[in-house]
Amino acid sequence: MTIDILCKVVDNYGDIGVAWRLARALSELPDPPRLRLVVDDLEAFVALRPGLDPRATFQVAKGIEVVAWQGPLGPEAAASFRARPASAIVECFACGRPDWLEDMLFAPGAPPSLVVDLEHLTAEPYAAELHLMPSLTRSASVRKAMFLPGFDEGTGGLVLDRSFEQTLARASSEEGRAELRRSVIATLTGAAPGAAAQPDAIGPVGAALAAPDDAVGRFWVAVFGYERDYGRIVADLAAFAARCAARCGVAGTGGDDARGSVPAGTVRGSVPDATSGRPLLALAAAGKSQACFLAAWEAAGRPFPALALPFLPQETWDRILAASDFSIVRGEDSWARAALAGRPFLWQAYPQAERHQMVKVEAFLRRLQRHFRPADFAPIARAYRAFNDRDRDESGTAGDESPGSLFDAYGTAAAGFQALAASLAARTNLAADLLTFFRESV
Amino acid sequence: MVVTSDLRTGSVFKSGNDALFVQRILGQKTGRGGMVTRFRVRNIVTGQTSDVALDAGEKFEEVDLDIHQMKLSYIDGDTYVFMDQTSFEQYELAKDDLGDNAGYISPDDDYEVEITFYEGKPVGVTLPILIERTITYCEPGVKGDTSGKTFKPATLDTGIEVSVPLFCDIGTKIRLDTRDGSFVERAK
Repeated sequence: MTIDILCKVVDNYGDIGVAWRLARALSELPDPPRLRLVVDDLEAFVALRPGLDPRATFQVAKGIEVVAWQGPLGPEAAASFRARPASAIVECFACGRPDWLEDMLFAPGAPPSLVVDLEHLTAEPYAAELHLMPSLTRSASVRKAMFLPGFDEGTGGLVLDRSFEQTLARASSEEGRAELRRSVIATLTGAAPGAAAQPDAIGPVGAALAAPDDAVGRFWVAVFGYERDYGRIVADLAAFAARCAARCGVAGTGGDDARGSVPAGTVRGSVPDATSGRPLLALAAAGKSQACFLAAWEAAGRPFPALALPFLPQETWDRILAASDFSIVRGEDSWARAALAGRPFLWQAYPQAERHQMVKVEAFLRRLQRHFRPADFAPIARAYRAFNDRDRDESGTAGDESPGSLFDAYGTAAAGFQALAASLAARTNLAADLLTFFRESV
Repeated sequence: MVVTSDLRTGSVFKSGNDALFVQRILGQKTGRGGMVTRFRVRNIVTGQTSDVALDAGEKFEEVDLDIHQMKLSYIDGDTYVFMDQTSFEQYELAKDDLGDNAGYISPDDDYEVEITFYEGKPVGVTLPILIERTITYCEPGVKGDTSGKTFKPATLDTGIEVSVPLFCDIGTKIRLDTRDGSFVERAK
């Protein structure tokens, strides 16, 4: 069987991120299908998968044929489709189909085919209602169905690729987690083979990684969100860092120029056992939130070390998410990875008209709260609502979000998120379900 | 070609050899990736109904249809009888053929509707986008609440239930959008 995965890059890297992970996951299954990935923006793809040629109309990556969306097809791609006509097609996020594929599918005498519309991840109940629901095209020989990822039974589940599963397995023990962090640091500092980042790209705060053993033992906070004023979040992280410093007597909890700048008198409460009083390290992902987060961090006097990450390949970002103690994530793929990683995280939903994102946030909170006692869940729900309840996200938008309460009860929060991850991991892999669906239907 | 976003209750489109009549819009979900709409469609040849989900960009063949302007003459049980305003011929449509549109029309209405014919047979009706109906039952109106943001159920003179703002009362004439049954404004 050959599966064609179609992807249009709407903005950023979320669409291609999901499509590429799905392609990899399908390719790793027992008796895998042959795969073609048709992408309209290879420049975006190259960022996730360095080594691809953004101008090539046909190339192969990890055994997956990568075809440029824009026609006409080059000779190699045309030969591929002649040899193996499209019969099982995945439209990622209702992206439609390229004209040349449309011509193939609807040509008189074309072989039967099945198109699946792979929709966005949501925790809303409609995911189970729409999953596998029949759809239609203008031809009886081109059948179509919906495929909904989700967190619950009755949905398509989440994509689990082998690389991410291995990363999760490594992160499941303290030793493995430390080793995972060392591998991340080695990649970021260019000390590992195939490193994507140059030390200069890490910027003026790169010295935070100068002592890898110190960095490995810190409380890692990964930040990947939309534009906003991160002042409140940085203040809470700073207060948390100060409590950790007070507990374990760590010197130099601040950033490069901020050593000793933790304000006196900010220590409050007790440091939860789960953090073991570790000093904090923030890892700000490249993209919309990085400048905002670092601006707030600068304004606060660099109260803890922070790394401005370069744009990273998907597998490297996965390792950072799995190795982090707390994450702020946005979009879809990082949301799913954070949920599977089993550590506390805040999800920033894409802001929509009339704050429709809150419907999605509330749906996820309902799913998440199954793993908490009500009293334990209240600060988490509060933090999610405050973080998301706004008309738009931009660098000047401030809110009253306060993840501090989440850190106050870190151990309880971590147990709940771990239970969520376990419940998700117990479900089937979306890629395996999708392949089974195609094999039973085509 | 028609795309999914063009379809509404009463539309007819072709999928393969099947001419399908949109009987009901079951729901829509919106997201970053566009809208997916669930429809109940009826094969206008076999009469078989099925529920399908269509994403906004899917294209379909149009169906050769004849459209006639008519008025509803009377309702006999589940049969709706319409009269062609030019030839004065009468045509019958089953309530099922009208789909959700059956809930918006009454023989007392003075407005014309479009009756769709496929191969000489009436198969559906398309209503004006805005129509006026009278509320026959709802909880008492709340004076002073004119925001129109809080809704309550109300029964119309055709027997269907819709959501109306709190300030509406029994006897209030309202203007509705027949595409989704939503309240538009109080009729004058």
